[in-house]
Amino acid sequence: MTFKKLLLATTAVAMLGASIVPAMAQTTLRLVSKDLLTTNPDDVRLIEEIEAGLKAKGHDIDIQTIDLPSGTAAYADALGVMLLSGDIPDVIYFQGGDQKMAEQGILEDLTPWIEGSENIKAALWPHNVERLANYPYLLYIYPPRGPQPVIRQDWLDELGLEAPTTVEEYEALFQAIHDADLDGDGTPGNTLGLTGFGNTSELDSIFNQAFGVTGTWMKNAEGQWVNSRVTDAEKAKIEFYARLAEKGLFDKEFVTNTFDVKEDKFYTGKAGVIFGSSPEVIDIYAGKMRQAHPGEEIELAVLPAPTGPGGQGLAAVDVSKESRGWAISSLSENKEAAVALLDFMASKEGQDLERLGFADVHHTVGADGAVTFTDQISTWYARFFNAANWTPPTPLLSPTAQTALDNIKNGFVADNAFVWPAEYAAEVDAAEQVYRSWVARFVTGEATLDQWQQFVDEYNPRAVHAWRSMRRRCWAASSATTRATPPPP
Amino acid sequence: MVAKDGQKVADVLSDGNVPGSLEVLRERVLNKRSGAASVQDWRAKLRQWWPYYAMMAPGLLFFFIWHYVPIWEAKMAFEQVRIIPPNIWVGLKNFQQLFASPIFYQVLANTLIISAMKIAFVFPVPIIVALLLNEIRNGKLRGTIQSAIYLPHFLSWVVIAGVFIAILSPTDGAVGQIQQAMGFGAPSNYLTNPASIRWVLVISEIWRSAGWDSLLYLAAIFAIDPQLYEAAEIDGANRWQKIWHVTIPGIVPTIATLFILNMGLFLSADLNQVINFQNDVNASTIDILDTYVYRLGLSTGEYALATAAGLFKAVIGMVLIVTSHLVSKRLTGKGVW
Repeated sequence: MTFKKLLLATTAVAMLGASIVPAMAQTTLRLVSKDLLTTNPDDVRLIEEIEAGLKAKGHDIDIQTIDLPSGTAAYADALGVMLLSGDIPDVIYFQGGDQKMAEQGILEDLTPWIEGSENIKAALWPHNVERLANYPYLLYIYPPRGPQPVIRQDWLDELGLEAPTTVEEYEALFQAIHDADLDGDGTPGNTLGLTGFGNTSELDSIFNQAFGVTGTWMKNAEGQWVNSRVTDAEKAKIEFYARLAEKGLFDKEFVTNTFDVKEDKFYTGKAGVIFGSSPEVIDIYAGKMRQAHPGEEIELAVLPAPTGPGGQGLAAVDVSKESRGWAISSLSENKEAAVALLDFMASKEGQDLERLGFADVHHTVGADGAVTFTDQISTWYARFFNAANWTPPTPLLSPTAQTALDNIKNGFVADNAFVWPAEYAAEVDAAEQVYRSWVARFVTGEATLDQWQQFVDEYNPRAVHAWRSMRRRCWAASSATTRATPPPP
Repeated sequence: MVAKDGQKVADVLSDGNVPGSLEVLRERVLNKRSGAASVQDWRAKLRQWWPYYAMMAPGLLFFFIWHYVPIWEAKMAFEQVRIIPPNIWVGLKNFQQLFASPIFYQVLANTLIISAMKIAFVFPVPIIVALLLNEIRNGKLRGTIQSAIYLPHFLSWVVIAGVFIAILSPTDGAVGQIQQAMGFGAPSNYLTNPASIRWVLVISEIWRSAGWDSLLYLAAIFAIDPQLYEAAEIDGANRWQKIWHVTIPGIVPTIATLFILNMGLFLSADLNQVINFQNDVNASTIDILDTYVYRLGLSTGEYALATAAGLFKAVIGMVLIVTSHLVSKRLTGKGVW
């Protein structure tokens, strides 16, 4: 009798279990990102901890990451080929190439999902809100990139100067660096005030507003909208750069410098000021500077955006779309799970995990709950988001980097650039080539500002044709994928 | 199959004493056979030579999958590519978009100029290097020089560009300092000067590939019958005359073949090299089809446009291969087929 009862009970439990299991079935979510690889133990553990965190919130999700090359260009190429072959994961990290996918309806409009989310909306930065309104397919919750100049604090002290607040003071600072023998090699006059790499866009970050380049599109003296690149304000700015280069204050070799060459010139004392692309990067520069000068407690100082004839502030931030970020496939059958994942990563629990790393590896938690970072924290980086509303229990950034972040927060101004549809890619590319080439030639002295009109005459036919054509198109019908339209005539 | 004692193949085949392995071939050449017999022959050959066919199969499969199947997919150049099939046929629209670009003809001209410079100045260098290496009598010295000049081939263009940027720096580059020390005035930036950047591409290409590419010519030189050199010596030829009358004619077929194959790649002026040397100032001088397509096609997901450009290059390459083959046939009697 007892055996029969036991058998009956076992059968009942098994049947109950069988009926419950489908209801609690695990969702498999396929995810591709260049920073989440099965070959990296940290990535694997992070995914496991995310799954555990999601489970605690009632989402039983098995996240399967897909390995692609992690180099930026190689990743974009491989991702494009993978999607083209019809293999479309549920969650996709894009670093270029997303617009084509959006135009074909492959990417989910995230607007309703974000509206209904628990955490994402509150985690957004102001520029994220505007970018999502214009292009609702990519989510990239990070502060905007606003390169800011840094200098060794001890050099600034040695020069006896305060941080410059005007364009003229900047020039005076660069001149003082150049004339002094701060690197101690016994030869004054061989230190650059400022160096850069590739192009002048880093400099534009603080000098655009100072010279009155307030956005991508500006009104000229006749009240017509023109691209800011052919305005007098732009000309004055480039004239300033060219003067700095001519006097040996700005590195004429910025065109051929790579980012590591730029950094090397800073660490070895060949240049006094460089731009850091983000607060985290500024902290990396400080660490590398101390490594290059063991025994010296070198601190970096962030220099403010100067006041100039046109105003003051950081360059306007392009809010036409995110240039990279997370997308959800519109073909996915697991959109709820995909949103749950992104929402979790924007939550406090997700951010604690994402930003602080693993307990007892990247940080320790004391008996009083205080978080202390270990040396390993320098190898840790956020894979998903840097939420605007998350505050670390212990400061993650140095005071210098925190200043840079505060500058970015306080100085945010939205640009009026818009997304060019893919069909204009050739014309936009041609105009961009003309601009970049002429700017580099003006600054390096291979062309003089007397040739400005020649540049304008070469630039305008390419840019203006595309712009007029685009305006006609936008007036005729609003684009399916680009809600932002060109400024009115 | 090698004919013995200088006999022609037909003589060997007509000889009653033919090795068993040639029996089938003899049958085929000397008799007109039915289709069934042909199939039988094929089977017999397969049975006999299957290990060789098996060894050849992976190679054939590789070429079929990676070189022939994609030819069919080149139809993408005439389509609007849809991630969700089917693709939409758009005819020549992608080509029109390619050719209508404001900088397409500038890019095409750059490609032609750089490719022509490479054919004219890079192509002959490995031949000269091989001829010079062949004249070194000291084996150890030759081995050392060979190893030294092969090495750059194994460096990536990122590294090579870094080296050239460093040595050509107008402020502290070695070239500029030598130039100044020799009284040739202030160094200019060769990497931004439109007049010099193409020469930088040519010279860096020579530095990287001349040693490695000379291997093929060196192998061809080693294959020349030593009796020819002995005969030339008996005739009183000096070193130069032996090079001119024996070595160079001996490697002409190799030169012709490689030249023709190089012509097929005429419009591929080396994406990796150019992309690493490209900067804002020289972009308009060295922007080539490959960099243009990479920028506009691949990085933005415009695969149809990229395929159209690729097909355009392939067609030009094919025309150049056939033309140079015919010219070579007429001039040297040698071609690629």
